Amino acid sequence: MKLRFNKTVAAVTSSAVLLMAAPAVGEVSASAAGVPTYTIGYQGPLSGSYAYLGEYMYYGALVAINNANAGAKFGKLPFKLKLARYDDQGSSTLAPAQAQAAIQNPSLVAIVGPAFSGATEASEPYYSRAHMATVSPSATAAALAKGARNNFMRVVAGDDVQGAADANFLVKTHHVKSLVVINNGSFYGAGLAAVVSKQAQKDGASVTNYTDPTTGSCGGTASTTQYAATATQIMAAHADAVYFGGYYCGFGLLLGALSSAGYTGTIMSDDGSWSTGLFGDTTPPTAANGVYVSEAGGGNANLTGKLASQFQKLSHQKAQGATYAAQAYDATNMIIKAMLSIKRSPKIKVLRAQLVVELHKLTFPGVTGTIHFQGNGDLSRNSIVEFAQANATTKTFKVIGHS
Amino acid sequence: MGAFGHFLVSHFATLRLEFWGLLVGGVANGLIYGMVAVGYTLVYGVLRLINFAHSEIVMTGGFTSYFVLRGLIGTSIPNGWATVGVLVVGMVAGGVSGAVMAMLVERVAYRPLRRRRAPQLAYLISAIGASYFLFNLAGKEFGRVLLSVPQPYINHPIFSVFGAPVQLYYLVIVIASAAMLVGADQFVGRTRLGRGLRAVAQDSETASLLGVDVNRTIALTFALGGALGGIGGFLLGLGTGVVYTMGFVPALKAFTAAVLGGIGNLRGAMIGGLLLGVVESLSIAFVQPAYIDVVAFGILVLVLLVRPTGILGERLGRAA
Repeated sequence: MKLRFNKTVAAVTSSAVLLMAAPAVGEVSASAAGVPTYTIGYQGPLSGSYAYLGEYMYYGALVAINNANAGAKFGKLPFKLKLARYDDQGSSTLAPAQAQAAIQNPSLVAIVGPAFSGATEASEPYYSRAHMATVSPSATAAALAKGARNNFMRVVAGDDVQGAADANFLVKTHHVKSLVVINNGSFYGAGLAAVVSKQAQKDGASVTNYTDPTTGSCGGTASTTQYAATATQIMAAHADAVYFGGYYCGFGLLLGALSSAGYTGTIMSDDGSWSTGLFGDTTPPTAANGVYVSEAGGGNANLTGKLASQFQKLSHQKAQGATYAAQAYDATNMIIKAMLSIKRSPKIKVLRAQLVVELHKLTFPGVTGTIHFQGNGDLSRNSIVEFAQANATTKTFKVIGHS
Repeated sequence: MGAFGHFLVSHFATLRLEFWGLLVGGVANGLIYGMVAVGYTLVYGVLRLINFAHSEIVMTGGFTSYFVLRGLIGTSIPNGWATVGVLVVGMVAGGVSGAVMAMLVERVAYRPLRRRRAPQLAYLISAIGASYFLFNLAGKEFGRVLLSVPQPYINHPIFSVFGAPVQLYYLVIVIASAAMLVGADQFVGRTRLGRGLRAVAQDSETASLLGVDVNRTIALTFALGGALGGIGGFLLGLGTGVVYTMGFVPALKAFTAAVLGGIGNLRGAMIGGLLLGVVESLSIAFVQPAYIDVVAFGILVLVLLVRPTGILGERLGRAA
C-alpha cells in the first residue's frame, strides 16, 4: 500500500514538473461558433489480420465520443470532440509511425490505445516524450506497467494476473498434469505464455514450451507448416492440455492442425483469441468448438442497452462478444472526464501533460467496473479473470466462470 | 528393467511416433512445394527468369477454389463420391485460374519486355511489381483476414504408418500432387508440346527456325506452371484457409526447393520440394518450430556450397 502511494505521488509530482516544461501542444482549433474542438486518437489495428479486434475498440470509443458530443453522458460540453484513427495493424513495426503522426496532430490531446502490447511497447517512447496520455483498452503485457512512464494507463489487468489465473484454471480446475504452452513470439504472446508456464509448473504440472511465430497468413513471415509439426509432437507427447499465447489468427491455424492430428485434450487461449474472428480463421471451423479463452479486467463486460444499439448501428457488429469495445468506451470516457476536470472555464486550454495528471487523480465508474489507476498505470482494483468456451455453431463465446 | 531402461523405452516410443508423424506431414508439404517449384523451374528453364509473381498464382488458385467450394457446398459436408467430385472441381478451379493468371502475367508483365529486349533487371522489377499489384488487389477485394475454406470431407485418420495416423487431408495432397507431378513430367518428356517446350528451353532461336511458335510455347510454359501452382493453392487453402498473403511463404519455400533440386530442372524441383518439406518437418524433433526456416535455408546453403548447381543441376532442355 505504501509502495502504491509512493508511486502515485511520484507519478503526479513528476507530471506536474513536466507540465510546467511542456510545450503548448494539445491546443484547440475553434469552430465557427467559438466552441473549441479537441481530438482524441484511437491507435490500434483497423486493417490487416487483426482488424476485427481493433474495430471493436474503435467503435466503442466512437460511441463514447458521440454521446459526449450529444451531451448524453456529461451534459453540455464546453468543447467539441473528434475521434481520429491511427491504424498500426497491431504491428510494433508500424506503430512508431502512427504514434508520431498522432503527436503531430496539434488538436490531439490523448490516445485511446495503443491496442496491442507490442505496438504499445514500440509507441510509448514517443508518447512519453510528448507527455501524451495513452489509455489502453487492451494492452495487457505485464512489462508495460513496469517502466517509469507515467503517461501509460490501461483499463484491463496485466498478463501477470491473467496468466496465473489461466494456469490455475487448467491445472487446478481441469486437473491437467502435462501442459504444452505455445506462444506466437510476440511481445504479448511470449510474455503471457511465460507467466502461464511458470504458474502451471508451480501448480505441479509438467510443462513443455514452444514458440510458433506469426505466419505469412497472419501478417508474419513464418510457415504455416509449423503448426502441423507442433501438433504431431503434442500428439506424440500425449499432452493433457495446450495453451496458446497470441492472437486468434494463429490460434485458428493451430486449432486446425490439432484437429487434423486428432487431438482431443483441453485447449485454451487468451483474450487475443476471444474474438469472433477465430471462427473464420479456423479450418474447419468446428475445430474451435469447446476451446477455452480468458479475459482480464472488466471480464466479459459488454456495452448493453442503448449503448449496445449505438455500437451496433455504427459498427454493424453485435455488442455482445465485441472484445474490448466496453473497455475502449470506458477509456474514452475517462479521458473526457479528465478534460472536463481541467477545462472549468472557457479560457482554460487542455494540455496533454495536464491530462496525464488528471487521469491519475480520477476514480471513474465505468461499464467495466470502477476505474482508478495506480502510479504505474495498472488498475487499482483486484481484477477478476473470466473464462469462456467457444461454440463454433453459433460463433459465440459463453462465459463459464471467473477466477 | 530399471527406471532408466523404462525411460529409454518410453522415450524412443515417443520419438518413433514423432518421427513417422513428422515424416507424413513433411512429405505432404514437400509435394506441395514441389508442385509450386515446377512453376519456377519451367519458367526459368525457358526464359532464364525467376517469376516472383508465382506466389500470387498460388493465391489466385486458393481464392478461386474457395469461392467455387463456397458456392458448391457452403457449410454442408459431402461424403463418398460427392467428396471426390468436389475435390476434383476444386482442383480444376484452382488449376484453371492459376493457368489463366500465369498467362495473363506473362502477357502483361513479361512479353512487352521481351519484345523490347529489356535487360534481366527489368524482368525482375516487373515480376515484383506484378506480385505486389496482385496481392494488394486481392487484399482490397477479398479482405485482409484469413478465410476458412469449406471442407469437402471430415478430416479423419484413414490409416496409420508405424503408429502415426495419416489424415484424409494428407492423402488428398499425396494423391493429387503425385498425379500432377507425374503428369507434368510425362507431358514435358513425351508430348509434342513438351518437345517444343524443351526445344525453346535449349535454344529458342533454333527452335523458332524449326517451326516452333516461341511465344505460344512460352505461354504454355506459364500455363503449365500456373496450373500446378493454382492446384497447390487449392491444397494449401484446404488445410489452412485463404488470405491475400497466403502464397508468399510457400512460394519462397518452393523457389528454395527449385534451387535445391537444380533450377531449370523439372525433376529436380520435385525432389527439392520433397526434400525441403521432409527436412523442415523432421527438424522440429530437434529444434523449436521457430527455427524450421533457419534449418531449411541452412540446408539450402550447405547443399549449394557442395553442389552449386543444385542436386540434379541440369537444365530443362536436357533433363526432361
